[in-house]
Amino acid sequence: MSNVLSNEKRGMRELGAEKKVGWDEVTHGVVLHSFEDDATDVATRKAEDRNYSEFNSYTATVASWRVVKPVYNRDICIDCQNCWVWCPDSSIISRDKQILGIDYDHCKGCGVCVEVCPTNPKSLLMFGEAISSDDAIAQWPVKEKKEK
Amino acid sequence: MAITSVKNLKEFSTVNERFEGAHLLCPGCAHSMIVRELMNCSDDNLVISTNTGCLEVSTAVYPYTSWDTSWIHIGFENAATAAAGAEAMYKARKRKGTLKNPDAPVKFVAFGGDGSTYDIGFQWLSGAVERGHNFTYICLDNENYANTGGQRSSSTPIGASTTTAPAGRVSYGEKRNKKDMMAIMAANGASYVAQVAPNKWKNMAQAFQKALSIDGPCYINALSACTTEWKFDPKDTINISDLATDSLVFPLYEIIDGTELNITYRPKNILPVKDYLAAQGRFKHLFKPENAHILEEWQKRVDAKWEYLQRREEARV
Amino acid sequence: MAEKIDLQEIEVWDGNYAAAHALRQAQIDVVAAYPITPSTPIVEGYASFMADGYIDGEFVMVESEHAAMSGCVGAAAAGGRVATATSSQGFALMVEVLYQASGMRLPIVLNVANRALAAPLNVRGDHSDMYLGRDSGWVQMDAFNAQEVYDMNLCAFRVGEHPDIRLPVMVHQDGFLTSHTAQNVRPLSDDDAYKFVGVFQPVEEMLDFSRPVTHGAQTEEDWHFEHKARQHKALMDARPVIESVFAEFEKVSGRKYKRVESYMIEDAEVIIVALGSTVESARLAAQQLRDEEGIKAGVVGPRVIRPFPFDAIRDALENCKAIGAMDRSCPGGALGMLFNEVSAAVYATAKRPLVTNYIYGLGGRDLSIVDIKAIFRELKANADAGKITTQIQQFIGLRGPKLGFFETREGK
Repeated sequence: MSNVLSNEKRGMRELGAEKKVGWDEVTHGVVLHSFEDDATDVATRKAEDRNYSEFNSYTATVASWRVVKPVYNRDICIDCQNCWVWCPDSSIISRDKQILGIDYDHCKGCGVCVEVCPTNPKSLLMFGEAISSDDAIAQWPVKEKKEK
Repeated sequence: MAITSVKNLKEFSTVNERFEGAHLLCPGCAHSMIVRELMNCSDDNLVISTNTGCLEVSTAVYPYTSWDTSWIHIGFENAATAAAGAEAMYKARKRKGTLKNPDAPVKFVAFGGDGSTYDIGFQWLSGAVERGHNFTYICLDNENYANTGGQRSSSTPIGASTTTAPAGRVSYGEKRNKKDMMAIMAANGASYVAQVAPNKWKNMAQAFQKALSIDGPCYINALSACTTEWKFDPKDTINISDLATDSLVFPLYEIIDGTELNITYRPKNILPVKDYLAAQGRFKHLFKPENAHILEEWQKRVDAKWEYLQRREEARV
Repeated sequence: MAEKIDLQEIEVWDGNYAAAHALRQAQIDVVAAYPITPSTPIVEGYASFMADGYIDGEFVMVESEHAAMSGCVGAAAAGGRVATATSSQGFALMVEVLYQASGMRLPIVLNVANRALAAPLNVRGDHSDMYLGRDSGWVQMDAFNAQEVYDMNLCAFRVGEHPDIRLPVMVHQDGFLTSHTAQNVRPLSDDDAYKFVGVFQPVEEMLDFSRPVTHGAQTEEDWHFEHKARQHKALMDARPVIESVFAEFEKVSGRKYKRVESYMIEDAEVIIVALGSTVESARLAAQQLRDEEGIKAGVVGPRVIRPFPFDAIRDALENCKAIGAMDRSCPGGALGMLFNEVSAAVYATAKRPLVTNYIYGLGGRDLSIVDIKAIFRELKANADAGKITTQIQQFIGLRGPKLGFFETREGK
């Protein structure tokens, strides 16, 4: 499964798989820092350029939540950005007003992106978790005739 | 304030996200759509507080945080006061010259579910608004105590089935009408209140930006359709939200300084309330013949509210 | 820029006003407060200083005590010095937030003018509210008079803000008995007081935008125990920090404080352990008994209630014969808190002196020196008999038939 524009820290480990340190090593006052170093301009940087700390959920993966997954079809997509704005899991990667694909580390397979996609046929469709993107695209349906 | 362009969705999509994935919210949860959008609306530094609830419990469970800005959770009731305290500290430190980045703009935002906003945290919100703190409070309204498994709140609309007011052989579920937080907050002295829904992303983004740019307390009531407790398929969150706004069950409007009311969304085709109710499992018992009068009452009430909003908008009071 | 006040060498202040001045001198950034008898004058005094230009910080009059502590927590997380004051019902209302503040390791100073807890409603001084906060995870200090209220407030900021500790701190004083009793207080000058308290050093603050920080995360069963253990350790580690702060305070003020204040214990046969203004009454009673009846009486007053000074109490009490632990709070079906904790310390000694429990002074009921002398005589009887000659727990100063509970095995 190709990973679109990932920071090497993205989806490094499953939730719950982090090292269970002792009382002397847990953070003071349950405080968590989001980044490793100076994050003053983090609002100007894309995810792949940020220095996420190991405490940022960005570094975890929820891929195991899925039984079905969305597959993205670049050839049909019109870059309307509907899927980007409504994805609850920040898993539609958009750069320079173009959809690049899906962050499968964080996608939970909810299917909202498919529902809000306006193209006919849709540019995102749900498939079984195991299928490859190429096979999915090869199976892509053709334009639906609208019922009068 | 550094305003992100919301001219159109393509422009908006060029922002850099500050709400990270691998949080624990249900697949399809609207909370996340709303929070992502709020954080994408401004490039300013944000100090965010959150009441105990779905959002808090899903985004800050040690050792993970999904927040790329400073964030605080204290308890169930007091996100508004946490924001108020932080805002007061900001004012004090700015005056004393002890801030690390004294010229960096900062906005204070508090999030709470309907349970913590309408019910248990009501006093805290009312106090913070009355004192005029410069902050924005956003209620993520899913009309129940979702985090604890779907109990009724004073936001639960009549006829909804919740675990503490369930539909049963002798009951049609919730007996009380939904509390009108918009009117209450406007009367409480909020500089700006707005009712928004994530399906109308631009309307919501504009309301957020207006609230963030106003110097004073602002209250936003955001429809958060809950796949788990409203009982619909996770993929349909935006579809359900469309039904809510287009049937006028959840009308979108704003009130400026407690008097100037503006309707911010007028559906081209107004859908029957029945269509909205029929799409959710929590209302399915209302379609039994003995509950027909509840459906009628629903439509009448929604119509009356819409009539009221239009008349008040016209009268400019 | 806030104006300074030229204080006299000796001021006549009650406990409340002494606290208000100490808070003013500490140059607090945010006070979030709500009025409740008998702590209200602390907040009123502070408001008056604000209105007259003596304070630079913010003063937020919130809509409840829970909101007061919530506002303090939010403000503390935003990186500044924070304080407030309350009593009784207000303390009870904010109890939830007390636990949250200490768990989040935020330095905050809370003045508590100890007052009874309803029901029945009572505005007078007893220690019910103090006892309610027993396990809240705060450093807790007790002032026996107005001077100590002033001194403990200044020390509280130093202890709480110490980089190794970073915990919120309570300063207790008896409601009305101390809070409303005007006494001679020798304050430090504004400059000396602020110099002692020091400039606030923000740590993990929300207004440092170069390091976004998440405060108040949830911990599930995998992590909670470790966080609470670490918090408990920090509270225990406050013991030497408190001693070093007291040592420094002695240098600037000439007044020496200890975690446990002991009077005439070196040769004492019988010792009363008490809190608040009762300590001073007990000292007078002990002196009188020594002079008039030759009873070797001593008094122990824990200055620091939390972290419980187990070691110092144990050492102070190990050589006497009979101890009376006095609790000014309704025990709710058990022996009193001070009795329980003193007994635990005394149990760890070789000689294990006898300990009995006196419940007194609830709802502001006065306890006279005559009454305390009677207690000392009962302790003497226990000491001479080598066993407890009364019920272990007795209510004193109570109208009606004698009320007592809990027997020793050999008892009556």
